[in-house]
Amino acid sequence: MAENGAKATVTLEIDGVEVTVPSGTRVIEAAEHVGVVVPRYCYHPGIPTRPAQCRMCLVEVEGRPKLEPSCTLQAADDMVVNTASDTARTARQSVIEFLLVNHPLDCPICDAAGQCMLQDYAYVTNQLESRVDEPKRIMGRDRISDDILYFADRCVICTRCVRFMRDVAEDDSLIVAQRGDKAYIDTFPGRELDNPFQGNIVDVCPVGALVHEDFVFKARSWDMDAAASVCPGCPTGCNVTIDTKENQIVRVKPRHNAAVNSWWMCDYGRKHLVMTNRGVRAELPLIRAGGGDGDGGELRPVDWATALDWVAEKIGTLGAPGGSAVVSPDASNENLFYLRTLLDRLGVGDADFRVPQGETAELPTVPTLKLRADRAANAIGAGFFGGRSVDGPPNGSAGGALVVLDDELEGAGEDFGASADFFLYLGTRLPGAARNADAVLPIATFAEMDGTFTNFEGRVQRFHQALRPPGLARPAWMVLSRVLARLGDGEAVDDVRGAFERMAAQAPAFAGLTWDGIGLKGAPAAGSAAEAAGVAGSAEAGA
Amino acid sequence: MSRRIHPAVVPAQPFQLTARETFDGPIFETEEGKHRLEAALSRYPTKQAALLPMLGFVQSVKGWIEPADMVEVAEALDLTPAYVHSIATFYTMYNKHPVGRHFVQVCTNISCHLNRAEEVLHRFLAETGTREGEVSADGEFTVIEAECLGACGFATVVQVNDRYLEDVTPDCVPEIVENLRGTRNGGPDAGGDA
Repeated sequence: MAENGAKATVTLEIDGVEVTVPSGTRVIEAAEHVGVVVPRYCYHPGIPTRPAQCRMCLVEVEGRPKLEPSCTLQAADDMVVNTASDTARTARQSVIEFLLVNHPLDCPICDAAGQCMLQDYAYVTNQLESRVDEPKRIMGRDRISDDILYFADRCVICTRCVRFMRDVAEDDSLIVAQRGDKAYIDTFPGRELDNPFQGNIVDVCPVGALVHEDFVFKARSWDMDAAASVCPGCPTGCNVTIDTKENQIVRVKPRHNAAVNSWWMCDYGRKHLVMTNRGVRAELPLIRAGGGDGDGGELRPVDWATALDWVAEKIGTLGAPGGSAVVSPDASNENLFYLRTLLDRLGVGDADFRVPQGETAELPTVPTLKLRADRAANAIGAGFFGGRSVDGPPNGSAGGALVVLDDELEGAGEDFGASADFFLYLGTRLPGAARNADAVLPIATFAEMDGTFTNFEGRVQRFHQALRPPGLARPAWMVLSRVLARLGDGEAVDDVRGAFERMAAQAPAFAGLTWDGIGLKGAPAAGSAAEAAGVAGSAEAGA
Repeated sequence: MSRRIHPAVVPAQPFQLTARETFDGPIFETEEGKHRLEAALSRYPTKQAALLPMLGFVQSVKGWIEPADMVEVAEALDLTPAYVHSIATFYTMYNKHPVGRHFVQVCTNISCHLNRAEEVLHRFLAETGTREGEVSADGEFTVIEAECLGACGFATVVQVNDRYLEDVTPDCVPEIVENLRGTRNGGPDAGGDA
């Protein structure tokens, strides 16, 4: 504090381990370098203000008479910190005991149970019996916004939510009302929170006080499976974790990535992802191989081998090259790459894609995080693979081959694709406009497979399978690699690594990238804005 | 009330009212309101710093602070209504519920307690026909128990709006209540000299 010398690093001892950290680092963060997570409530790495008010992170520093809050204490040379001394543990135990004076024992119905920092620390301090005889104060439940509930009794008044809104979202409409044991989180009477990023207050809540209404009582934390993924809501590509239960997405939480979304994501992304549970899916391959040339019969379900053989045979017998294609800007890079390989074979040029537009929203203190107007996950990727952004209804009146990849063909007429020589529809759903298709191949959504998206600045980001695809639906790259293999082009791939490797070898934008190399934080595509900006590093955004 | 006084003197003008007139409408559009706002803003480096004095002013005029007033204060000081709400609820001495024209606070801390403060309190409640904290039917009285009013040498102490009544005994309560009923704004003979 007193000495702000030119030294770039300081060396201190934490729990008997020497560690060197950049000067200015707080002890709570320095401790993480040696594997010590100091208990905390009010401290959150993504929230700039540190009021040191929860008193959970108190640590003992040799030579100092009183315990110090490690979230605000700057690491200094020769400092000897003990996070688990008797004094520090006793202090922590007292904090927990005071919090438990009024905290209800409703863990069995609390959505945070199993992921609750109060529960965890209470177990650690091992206070099995309460010393309190008085009744607990009861405050009840409130609505903070149209989709966020507040269970006041569970709240530990760490003010993370208030400070997220005030200091990160710069929206001063969530506050602490009253004081002392009557304190609670509130908005102005009669008004609700209305901010496009307000869902993050649920994520930062260390206990079960703030809960999304669409998640409340829906799943216990130990019943859920989680998969690292990327939000497909807009080209920002916020890193997320998808929580699933019984093959349904029940919750989406942001996953930290300093170069993209810091610790946060927008509410549109959350809702968009949970909505993907909806709708009837295409589950079986369908081919029109009833009468004669294959244009007389009805679409009938077949197994994959039959469908793929038939599709490959039809493609092999097509006459002059040419045709058209409609692709979804939500398709993964691998899907788009394999589609492009097929389209090149068919002599199809531009693949049309349509990007729905929506309202934008910005998180003022995190410049990279923005809900962008383009409502598509991978328009940049589509551009890499010969995609062309168009407006208006899809054009399906040309002759030759017509290939549609996961576009629901909104606005297409009755005769969409009727004049095509061969109409191949690969989709997650079966819209009416696919009625003229010669073959329908059911494919997996992004949540049902592994793959990558390219975000707005060219950052290639991996997402992982969260759900089981329904019926016989399979990833489009898996399907298309088999069609191509039957046409003598490459091998059938079963593993996304294989698909990615072939893409990296053939598509210049992905040159030099490997599936493992990208990791869970992504890497910039060759020649992209992300590469130019050098965002591959881990510079802390928004801190 | 249009006198111009030096801003530094403003807090020393505590409107020693024993009863206030009812007030309705935008407070900062009155001449007094404009003057108080301007004076407070000239005293502090930020607008936010004027929040407590302005809430105090609203309460001195209306007796309590309702959400509409918080919005008005927030607009005057470039704050959010929610923030004003958090400050107003943090301090218990800002009334968030309506009070009668005479807001009677009976001290029941140690010295007053030894001088029969509870009896004084119950006598006030009985004479005004109210329960603690509620407004009497005629809108004249609200009686509450208060923590130490800092006048232990004159127990039992009763504060009526901004004025202290000292050495109050249960027997003087009917007369005090009677006198208060008759007084209007700033009456000098508000009782309590017993």
